[in-house]
Amino acid sequence: MKEIVVISGKGGTGKTSITASFAYLAENDIIVADCDVDAADMHLLLMPDFAHQEDFYSSEIAIIDQDTCTKCGECKKICRFDAISFQEDEYKVKPLDCEGCGYCANICPVDAITMEKQNDGDLFISTTKVKSTMVHASLNIGAENSGKLVAKVKSTAKEIAKKDKKEFVLVDGSPGIGCPVVSSLSGADYVVLVAEPTVAGIHDLKRVRQVVKNFNIKSGCIINKADLNKEKTTDIKEFLQEEDILHITDIPYDENFTKSMTEGKTIVEYDDKKLSEIIESSWKKILRLVERKEKS
Amino acid sequence: MKIVFTAKGKDWHSEMDPRFGRTEFLLVYDEEKDELTTYDNSDANRQAHGVGPITAQKLFDLEPDVLITGNGPGGNAARILQKGDFEIYTGAMNMTVKEAYDKFKNDELSKF
Repeated sequence: MKEIVVISGKGGTGKTSITASFAYLAENDIIVADCDVDAADMHLLLMPDFAHQEDFYSSEIAIIDQDTCTKCGECKKICRFDAISFQEDEYKVKPLDCEGCGYCANICPVDAITMEKQNDGDLFISTTKVKSTMVHASLNIGAENSGKLVAKVKSTAKEIAKKDKKEFVLVDGSPGIGCPVVSSLSGADYVVLVAEPTVAGIHDLKRVRQVVKNFNIKSGCIINKADLNKEKTTDIKEFLQEEDILHITDIPYDENFTKSMTEGKTIVEYDDKKLSEIIESSWKKILRLVERKEKS
Repeated sequence: MKIVFTAKGKDWHSEMDPRFGRTEFLLVYDEEKDELTTYDNSDANRQAHGVGPITAQKLFDLEPDVLITGNGPGGNAARILQKGDFEIYTGAMNMTVKEAYDKFKNDELSKF
């Protein structure tokens, strides 16, 4: 079983639209995992049924036991997130501001503070509109994505893939270069980078490339909206060559990209021909690349 | 020589864990004593963030000569591991611990 991860570094490059299209094309041959949990939106395109739900616990939150508290105020002084307030003669933790670092619990002279596990959101196992299984999550207000949650989404997807004898897990990776991305990439067999020809797009592509390089995973790049800035597209291609990243394809700017989204459809369902053909041949190319790697 | 593997199980036939920070187990093989020891890493795995450095700390405590893992450590763990007095080999995924050891002996893994 092979794991293909799609990441972008920068937001708005079309990563999820492209991933959802791949998932649509692959139908029930793959397991889909949405690890972009901070702003999960692949469900809008793949219409999963949210059939199985479980609570997800990841972060911790400080709880002050008012009966033990001597109101010394040390916790408020050291909290660098400013998450402890003094109201109505009581020190209280502001749940949305607490990062769960545990410093206050560590220094409290009377051990009045304990760290409690927090319910960060829900994990779902669903069936999509093309009958494939999709593992995804949603976060509660103020909760954040973490390497742990991404690892959970991915390991659940992999278990199902093994059980159902599916050859591929397609992962919509997390944005940026932080902990969730590292977790998205770890264990992957192939990385698809979705880039756009803008200053920020190139900057973020280079940044995320560094992370991928650490992991020594083969990668290919799709340049979306490639005709919007030909000069920058050339810059990206030069960078790809220097870094030995395969240039998978260029996708031209096309309003059907956004139009399909507003109708809750993947591009390959909505678009007449041009875009669909490019995306379909890209997906076939990626599958060939992943399989070839196995043989070599 | 003391060799540490990131693995999903506790013996030679276990699958290698491609992840470093969130590896399920650390297996230590002491070649001189011909002894395989298992260390559970689930306490690190319970953390939301920062598992790379936690697992790296454990590795330092084991004082290995070689680390064999799958994809390789992430950025934070890599920075710490580079301070270590041991060699790191990557690319040992989709195989058992035994296979990874054989590949290491045949010089078929890539040095990090």
